[in-house]
Amino acid sequence: MRRIEKFLVVASPVGVFALWEILAYLGWIDVRILPPPSAVAITMVVMFGEEGLLDHTAATLLRFFVGMAVGVVPGVLIGLTMGIFRWFRAFTNPLVALFYPIPRIALFPLVLILVGINETSNVIMIALGPFFTMLISAMYSVLNIDRIYRDVAENFETGPRHLYTLVTLPAAMPTLMGGLRISVGLGLLGTVAVEFLVGESGLGHVIWNSWQVLSLQRSMAGLVVSAIVGFAVYLSMDLLERYLVPWQKKTAPV
Amino acid sequence: MPPESDDPAVTSGGRSDPAVGIRICGLNKSFDGPEGELVALAGIDLGVREGEFLCIVGPSGCGKTTLLRILAGLEPQFGGSVDFTVDTDGKPLQSMVFQEQGVFPWLTVLENAAYGLTVRHVPKDRCRAQARDYLRKLGLSAFEAAYPSQLSGGMRQRVNLARAFVNDPAVLLMDEPLGALDEQTKMLVQTDLLRLWEGSNKTVLFITHSLDEAIVLGDRVAVMSNRPGRIKTILEIDLPRPRDALELRNNERFLHLRRQVWDSLREEVVSLESDENRAPSPSGAPLS
Ligand SMILES: Nc1ncnc2c1ncn2[C@@H]1O[C@H](COP(=O)(O)OP(=O)(O)O)[C@@H](O)[C@H]1O
Ligand SMILES: [Mg+2]
Repeated sequence: MRRIEKFLVVASPVGVFALWEILAYLGWIDVRILPPPSAVAITMVVMFGEEGLLDHTAATLLRFFVGMAVGVVPGVLIGLTMGIFRWFRAFTNPLVALFYPIPRIALFPLVLILVGINETSNVIMIALGPFFTMLISAMYSVLNIDRIYRDVAENFETGPRHLYTLVTLPAAMPTLMGGLRISVGLGLLGTVAVEFLVGESGLGHVIWNSWQVLSLQRSMAGLVVSAIVGFAVYLSMDLLERYLVPWQKKTAPV
Repeated sequence: MPPESDDPAVTSGGRSDPAVGIRICGLNKSFDGPEGELVALAGIDLGVREGEFLCIVGPSGCGKTTLLRILAGLEPQFGGSVDFTVDTDGKPLQSMVFQEQGVFPWLTVLENAAYGLTVRHVPKDRCRAQARDYLRKLGLSAFEAAYPSQLSGGMRQRVNLARAFVNDPAVLLMDEPLGALDEQTKMLVQTDLLRLWEGSNKTVLFITHSLDEAIVLGDRVAVMSNRPGRIKTILEIDLPRPRDALELRNNERFLHLRRQVWDSLREEVVSLESDENRAPSPSGAPLS
């Protein structure tokens, strides 16, 4: 990244917070509705110290990671298999077309009836979005592999194991990473959503509960922490991408 | 099936008793196109001598790639017969050198070069040693850990050559491998290719749209007709080896051979051009 870009990455969120603070200070924003960042920050510190905000954050992160794993791993495996084997695709594609378009939140009552109100139902709800997203992107990542790579693999008489590890999987990886970025957003959304609905812990629970007792600064503090969590998770995707797709970042010498 | 004496390797042979390495008889291939059946190849008869460097030139769309893909085993359905009679000596029968995009972008230079051996379960140490040997010959040693996207086009194409040579097949099939390179780079890679090949006893089928390239590289040049493709003529290139891609271009004999090949090809290109001019589309690009 060029230096100016690095500056802008930091400057844009800082600028928004500064503007918000100034407008609140000038009285252009009603602080009863939208407390200024300084007030939220103070509340946040108090909550970390006395109200177990850290535990709530940890609970949210744990749910998020378990839900992501439960969704992403089978999604990728099934999606790749659908891309590779025509007959498997023919068999599973109608099922995907049937279930994918259902608004996932509408499945919640069904899931609750099936597995009860517990951590399992939470994880299932969180996993659904990433599962379908990874399944679909994995399938298309295989179907869109450039024909020339298949030809090379065939010409060199590549066996099934090497075909998978040396050709199909790496060729699919950039598209999979794109799917993973979308899945991360859906996973966070799902996590906060289930915490709204049934949670006794987690940032979603803090945001919703505080709002219900009209403690806006607490609600806002929960929101800010969840935004920071999302920001960190999203940035860590860059690191993951550099690790999983190392051939892409490098540029050709001119 | 044509009788033995029709075999071009025998009829136009200038050498004493060359063994036929690939015998192609009455090869036909058609595709189901949007406007019905499209005949790509109509009766290719060709005998490739064992150990020779045979170049094939022809107007674009005449079926050169199709012919090579059939030989490479990538088009299982065709009419006629293809017999590989080369002595493989336990080596793989054939490997194809694809165009530049055929290098795997996710493998390093070394991993790309070793690919053929890796998928044949050759022990890792030997894979690397053999790959490094060819990378050194092609001046790529310093780049073995680089990814293809970090290389220039000429270097990428050398990686492609290395991958095929490291696999050590009896027959190398090359489909315009240097077509995308600029003129200077092309000559350098041609020289590299000649050096590698002259030190081997491999049979090479090399498709190109450049007459100069065909004459610089080939023992013989086969000219194909417009689609549906046939072998129109075969010319012996009796230039001495080892050849130097740069120096040859001013050689009298080279220029004479070039005119001969061009005379044969020109009729095909002219008729292709006039066909295209009759169509509403803009006139076809000249055969570069
Ligand atoms: N898979 C395919 N399906 C349909 N038509 C094809 C296919 N491959 C090649 N062709 C057609 O066959 C003809 C010969 O193609 P090709 O062998 O690529 O020619 P060349 O390599 O000499 O330019 C062309 O008209 C091309 O459009
Ligand atoms: Mg072609």
